[in-house]
Amino acid sequence: MKFKAPFIIILSTILSLFLLAGCGQKQESGQEQGQRSAAKAHTYKIGLSLAITGSTSDAGNPYSKGVEDYINYANEMKFLGDDKIKCMIRDDQYKNDVTKRNFEDFLSAGIIFYLNYSTGSTLALKRDFEEERIPVIPASFHAGNLIDSNYIFLPIVSYSSQAIGLSEYIVNNHKGVNPKTAMFIHPSAFGRGPVEDVKKAVAAGLTMDIIEVVEHGRDLDNTAMLKRLISKKVQYVICNTVQSPVATLLNDAQRLGISADEFGQEDKITFFGVHYTGGNDLIALAGTSAENFFWTTSYRLTNEESAGASAQLEIAQKYGRDSKTANSHNYTNGIMAAQIAVETIRRAKAKGLEINRSNLYNELTAMNGFNAYYPLTTVGPVTFSSQDHAGVDTQIIYQVQNGVFRSICNPFESTYTGKLK
Amino acid sequence: MSYFFQLVVSGIVTGSIYALSALGFVLIYKSSRVLNIAHGQIIAGGAFITYALTVWLKIPIYLSFFISMIITFFLAMSIERIFLRRLIGEPIISIIMVTIGLMSILDGIIYLTPFGTYNLSFPDFFPKRPIIFWGISISWTRMAGVIITFILISLFSWFFKKSPIGVSMRAVSDDQMASMSVGISVPKVFGLAWAMAGMSAAAAGSIIGNITGLNFETLHAFGIAVFPVVILGGLDSIIGAVVAGIIMGLIQQFAAGYLDGNWGLNGTADVLPYIILLIILLFKPHGLFGTHEIERV
Repeated sequence: MKFKAPFIIILSTILSLFLLAGCGQKQESGQEQGQRSAAKAHTYKIGLSLAITGSTSDAGNPYSKGVEDYINYANEMKFLGDDKIKCMIRDDQYKNDVTKRNFEDFLSAGIIFYLNYSTGSTLALKRDFEEERIPVIPASFHAGNLIDSNYIFLPIVSYSSQAIGLSEYIVNNHKGVNPKTAMFIHPSAFGRGPVEDVKKAVAAGLTMDIIEVVEHGRDLDNTAMLKRLISKKVQYVICNTVQSPVATLLNDAQRLGISADEFGQEDKITFFGVHYTGGNDLIALAGTSAENFFWTTSYRLTNEESAGASAQLEIAQKYGRDSKTANSHNYTNGIMAAQIAVETIRRAKAKGLEINRSNLYNELTAMNGFNAYYPLTTVGPVTFSSQDHAGVDTQIIYQVQNGVFRSICNPFESTYTGKLK
Repeated sequence: MSYFFQLVVSGIVTGSIYALSALGFVLIYKSSRVLNIAHGQIIAGGAFITYALTVWLKIPIYLSFFISMIITFFLAMSIERIFLRRLIGEPIISIIMVTIGLMSILDGIIYLTPFGTYNLSFPDFFPKRPIIFWGISISWTRMAGVIITFILISLFSWFFKKSPIGVSMRAVSDDQMASMSVGISVPKVFGLAWAMAGMSAAAAGSIIGNITGLNFETLHAFGIAVFPVVILGGLDSIIGAVVAGIIMGLIQQFAAGYLDGNWGLNGTADVLPYIILLIILLFKPHGLFGTHEIERV
């Protein structure tokens, strides 16, 4: 029995060697497999130029974080399998010439999808987008972006549709004869965008009187303008600008005692705004003066329970974003633009198509009917076609109640936008 | 008639805040003949310091307001010491170019902080209910703004006219070489001018921030928006800044109240001040109260 111990040692050594060899072989084949798939894996480049600093960076900053986080999330979750998306993000400080330079640099880097930001730069680069035949999603929802353009796609309803939707809400809920309305707009193409379309809706039968269109400046005091509007019996003001001037307007209206406590209160003004006028930033700026402000967008908000809100907060938490960013509707906005880009690439890849600009354009225009895309963060599906370049066609209205935006209606499609089409 | 008087009061109030914002330009120009293009960034910086002290450090807002003025006093003095002291005696255009560079640097620094992109507001300090007299309404914040403006402007006016340092500053403004020859320290005068301008900018920023909310773009834009006020007042005149500020405020309110919305006019409140500025400068090229220098050869 003396030979037992050495025999066991030798046997176990041999077995261990076999096991190690087996593992090693397995490891090697795993590595080979990884190498093979890495050889097959692609990296698709997309570009985003926007105002991370400079004018409107209060919107651009969370927007860029939304895009960045969603692209990282998609890569980590392997939405495209082993393929990855590389999103190049550059600050243009809201300057069109810098945007153009960034866009050209992105082209040199070989982008297949482009995310743009401002109305001005989208209009300025429209011809470049046509020449390059590259699908573009801007953060600007200006309806004019789509005129004479084949490659620009708005993620949600245009400012015009939003303003018309608000006008319809006013008309449907106003008691008495035609509601008297004014528009308070940014002195730019972005601000002026919806004015003519709302006027067209009125001409087409929307029973509302547009008493005045006010282009604001750097106003410290809106007393004169507000008093003038009250003297003209204006009851509703629709704003299309950024939050800061709206906050000053609301503060002045509250001071003058002309802010309506409820919709349509007589001899007072009820204020409304489209996408970039509202959100938590407006409440941060205007405080209690924001109470009863009506605001429309196509996004779900994080302060109301929904699968989209939970997903957004989860992504924000995963990438260490602060609560202000996580709850910003412009973070949602950025996530949305990235979602559309990722989904388009995913669909083209699933069909075994080469991932290039042309195929992505075709995928985008096929995103309708049974192929509509349902992101959780919006109040309706994204539908594009060769004729329809506005993604989410539905919008929802929120109202500030006790310092928080609350939805006050179901998502709806503006009737007159359809009629004008 | 109450509409008319409401516009008058609103114009005076807005104009006073313009004057306070313009004061920093005037203080620096008065002593060093330099136009500080980065003034808007200092206005914004002052507002953000007040906010940080009030909200983050929980210091009462009125105390934060004064601490912010003190901090900005030393901050502006340091800016002068680091960036501009070496340029004493150099061509004015070089110094103005440095202030343009300074504007970019301050922009960059502020964008590195949450203030660069966040929208914030001061906690309610004054009652929301406005002061109402004879049907005319004015908010407590604006009223406080007017009072602070007039206190600061009175103090600075007295300082320049009566105090030995103020007289030294005026002397430096007139002739740097002659001032040095009688023992005035030109560098110290410049440093003090910047410091006082910083202090007034912090006051202006905190008041504007209370009215518009804290948005960097809105705040620093006031540095440029008050430029017509400075030019109209006469660049080196404190009283000129006040008068020009009030004129601009009144023009804006009357234009918005009587012209805009009528006869197809819109946005006249923004354009009319510039038109009137041009007309006045045609007749008074040095502004309403500016020093008319005569050089004898």
